[in-house]
Amino acid sequence: MRLHIGYVPLCDAAPLIAAHAFGFARAEGLDLDLAPEPSWATLRDRLALGHLDAAQMLAPLALASGLGLSGPPADLAVPLGLSLNGNAVTVTNALWAAMAPEGDDLDAVAAALGRVARERAGSGRPLTLGTVHPFSCHTYQLRLLACRGGFDMSLVRLVVVPPQHSVEALERGIVDGFCAGAPWNGVAVAAGLGRIAALGRDLAPDAPEKVLAVSRRRDGATLPLVRAVARAGLWCAEPGNRAELAHCLAGRRYLDLDAELVGRTLAGELTVGAAPRRVPDYIRFGAPAQAPGPDRLRWLLTQMRAAGQLPPGPDLEPAAAALYRPDILAEALPERTD
Amino acid sequence: MTETNLTVAVIDPSRARAAILEEGLRAAGIGRVVVVPDTADLMERVAALAPDVVVIHLESPSRDILEQMSSVTRQAERPVAMFVDRSDAAMMQAAVDAGISAYVVDGLRPERIRSILDIAILRHNAFARLQRELSEARGELADRKLIERAKGILMNLKGLSEEEAYKQLRRKAMNEKRKIADIARAIVTTADLLG
Repeated sequence: MRLHIGYVPLCDAAPLIAAHAFGFARAEGLDLDLAPEPSWATLRDRLALGHLDAAQMLAPLALASGLGLSGPPADLAVPLGLSLNGNAVTVTNALWAAMAPEGDDLDAVAAALGRVARERAGSGRPLTLGTVHPFSCHTYQLRLLACRGGFDMSLVRLVVVPPQHSVEALERGIVDGFCAGAPWNGVAVAAGLGRIAALGRDLAPDAPEKVLAVSRRRDGATLPLVRAVARAGLWCAEPGNRAELAHCLAGRRYLDLDAELVGRTLAGELTVGAAPRRVPDYIRFGAPAQAPGPDRLRWLLTQMRAAGQLPPGPDLEPAAAALYRPDILAEALPERTD
Repeated sequence: MTETNLTVAVIDPSRARAAILEEGLRAAGIGRVVVVPDTADLMERVAALAPDVVVIHLESPSRDILEQMSSVTRQAERPVAMFVDRSDAAMMQAAVDAGISAYVVDGLRPERIRSILDIAILRHNAFARLQRELSEARGELADRKLIERAKGILMNLKGLSEEEAYKQLRRKAMNEKRKIADIARAIVTTADLLG
């Protein structure tokens, strides 16, 4: 059975790419046609309108799409989480120098950012920070960073920077900083264009980052697809497979980046601020990421509400809960223990 | 349609396609049509232009930028909202099938937007058809060159006339149920190897 699958070229597309490249899909009788999508909006619309059967999706955007809050209302289900964490906030060298945080810890960095944000807002040149889409953990992580630094998001300009433009936007000073997923922060640091100021996992530990969203039009394909991608996700989580995975992801067909950089990113070897750090859970695949449970759903809805993204009116929680389908994962992989 | 007071921004990674759409919108009487380059400073350019409608190709990575501009209306200089609402699912399907999406300023009358989107869909579909025809024409031209070379090889090698050489090619193709160009390619490849 041939399935059209959308993804955005990022490290956390790994379970989908591995499902195709390392035979997990074939073992289920599936032939995955993996299409890189140029933007989250286009991926969302193609899934909603039937060009795609399933897709890697920002966890908040999958909810927004299924609830009709973003783009054409989609008849979709979320049977599987793909990844946790993986984002970071990178700032220009100039902003990092202006911040001059008193310590390496998140509180010191957030406080320093807050001081500069207030100064710049006061002088009529507010800081410009980039996210990847309104409905993204990136947006919420920037809000959490502001909260930690004691400043209101209304003091900064929040804009969207497509990941493939993020490094250029930093270089040209179009943004003072951005929150993006792996590997773009590492790419900016490697190019000497900025510093990682904060990691997503420090702002919100184990935030549900990407999910597998499946179109309800292809119900018959859901179980084998979930089985294949879940097994591929478990494979991605094994440190012993990391080198092979990095080589595959970095290839021209997928990310088209330096394999060593992708490997270091997957291993969580980063330079945060001025100091090298090893963060094993910088990006997480496998069992802990996979069940789309009610606790994750509640966290997402809380963040969406705080960001003013939920319309007033009846509570959307029951409708959102109907989109999250851990029961499908349980049926696809009965051997799961958690 | 006379829409001389409207400003439409066109964003498309393909400059040729953008030019075709621009021309179509101008011909329909849109007062101001501006092609905005798909670069990192797109948001500043769009904000400065303050268009009434943005028509953007689905392949543009900048679509997500417009999503932010439309969701944070209090920050944008002018409110922007996504067009095609759920009441017009057929229009949205047609637009996405044609590869486009549109964002419009709140308050613009739907029928005015619809006519702009209609032009965009027609122009995009025409461009896709042109591209298909062009690539077919290129293929045919390449095939014809191959057949000419294969005929020349047969004429030299076997002392045939041009007509006889072509007949042999055609007979071989018919017997093997293959295209003449395939037979010609085999001959040219062999001649290249042995020559």
